[in-house]
Amino acid sequence: MKAELIEGIKEKVGAGVLKTEIQKRRANITVEPAALRKAVEALLEHRPRFVIIAAVDAGMDIDLLYHFDVGGRLVIVRTTVAKEASEIDTIVDLVPAADWAEKEAAELFGVYFRAHPQPGHLVLPKDWPSDKPPLMGPFKRALPEQFCPVAESLVSTGMTAPMSPLMQRKREEAGLPSAPPASSANEASLGEVQKAMKGAEFDKKAGYDWKKGKLRHT
Amino acid sequence: MRYALFLGCMIPQRIPSVELAARKVFEKLGVNAPELQGYSCCPDSVVARLLDKKMWLTLAARNLSLAEEQGADLLVLCNGCYETLVEAREILKRDPQAAKEVGEILAKAGRKYTGKARVRHVVEVLYEDVGVEKIKEELVKPLKLKLAVHPGCHMFRESDGGDIWRKPKQFEDLVRATGAEVVSSKLDKICCGFPMMQVNEEASLKQTLLPKLAGYQQLGVDGIVVSCPACNIQFETGQVLLRKYGARYNIPCLHLMELLAVAFGFSADELALNVHRSPVPQLLQKVG
Repeated sequence: MKAELIEGIKEKVGAGVLKTEIQKRRANITVEPAALRKAVEALLEHRPRFVIIAAVDAGMDIDLLYHFDVGGRLVIVRTTVAKEASEIDTIVDLVPAADWAEKEAAELFGVYFRAHPQPGHLVLPKDWPSDKPPLMGPFKRALPEQFCPVAESLVSTGMTAPMSPLMQRKREEAGLPSAPPASSANEASLGEVQKAMKGAEFDKKAGYDWKKGKLRHT
Repeated sequence: MRYALFLGCMIPQRIPSVELAARKVFEKLGVNAPELQGYSCCPDSVVARLLDKKMWLTLAARNLSLAEEQGADLLVLCNGCYETLVEAREILKRDPQAAKEVGEILAKAGRKYTGKARVRHVVEVLYEDVGVEKIKEELVKPLKLKLAVHPGCHMFRESDGGDIWRKPKQFEDLVRATGAEVVSSKLDKICCGFPMMQVNEEASLKQTLLPKLAGYQQLGVDGIVVSCPACNIQFETGQVLLRKYGARYNIPCLHLMELLAVAFGFSADELALNVHRSPVPQLLQKVG
């Protein structure tokens, strides 16, 4: 039953499903944050019992694990929100029982549940400052800080360091091309290198922001 | 014989005089080695490998696949690139799971790795494929210099139980072929300290670099010859940085390709040796 359930969700959610994993007693479905509601809607067709949302501080991000019980077996829909912008759509309108769990994650981890019908206080003292969620630690990378410039340069150029303008000039003065024929000087090659980076998931590990072209939180 | 020249990151970005010298030396010796196009960092065998082994292996396999496409062996001028590319090739040969994972990632990037291209260090290419005699034939000015030879850690890497002293001995013979006297120090095999600089600068400078420099100074060497840009940078910037700990050294350090180019008659200007941070141009004044 579980394999069929997973396949059904994959079919309905499409590219928003990032990974699935079926174990003896449970199944994990990892989805993009934007695909969470679609995944929950697809799961609701199997009449699950909502169990809990477990929020986990993953260093750079907050992992949200939506636990459901389907016929006595656990199905976990997992998604991740960035600490810098920890927002996600509510599922309370789909699963009213998720109300307290979302409020708890909001208070303790600072996650903002968009369109929650009745956001508000649940577990912390009433005078607790709302900008200091007690279970969300500081932004912490998977890589040591001193190697972040190397990691950033590897993802953005394929080289350990960007070529400095001074060295470009010195190369030209020496009669060399201003840059070697590397991936950093060739768009098609850089595209290949960056696909390889994504395939190896190094961009995620390093916390690379593709839109900004640099590591997050720098 | 045709090779694909792998320039790496450090030579073009930090010591382009080595790239320039390599082009001149290869031309003189008739070594057909056009630069590999579109390559990335090897990636480096210490930091990048520790950051993420899968990324390290995938980029190395991609670089190897570029040479395969050209039907050429990779020719490297850097010990670190040599170690990464040789070791990645061995892992992909011996670990089917790793080869499968890397193959799948490369396929999505439109590449295929087959393992056909070999990886050759410039020392072994010059010694085994070109030959010391051919190098001697091209000498314009035999170098009357007393030189220390620092092989560097990664030059001792050999696959399939090979003799780890093969390349270091070849390296010394190539330096001798220029007419220079090779001076041995009991610290020759010790690391220059470059990788340790990334985590503990003081220990790297005082515990590894300083004893080596002191030994060379005592032996009265005119310069240090290396076959790795990372070692070269460490010897040069290390001597500058050691001043803050009260140690003053000013020993020229240059790459084997630059030494050969000098012996073949190229001038300091033609080789852009002023990019060095140690007194390499002054070393040439001794040569005359």
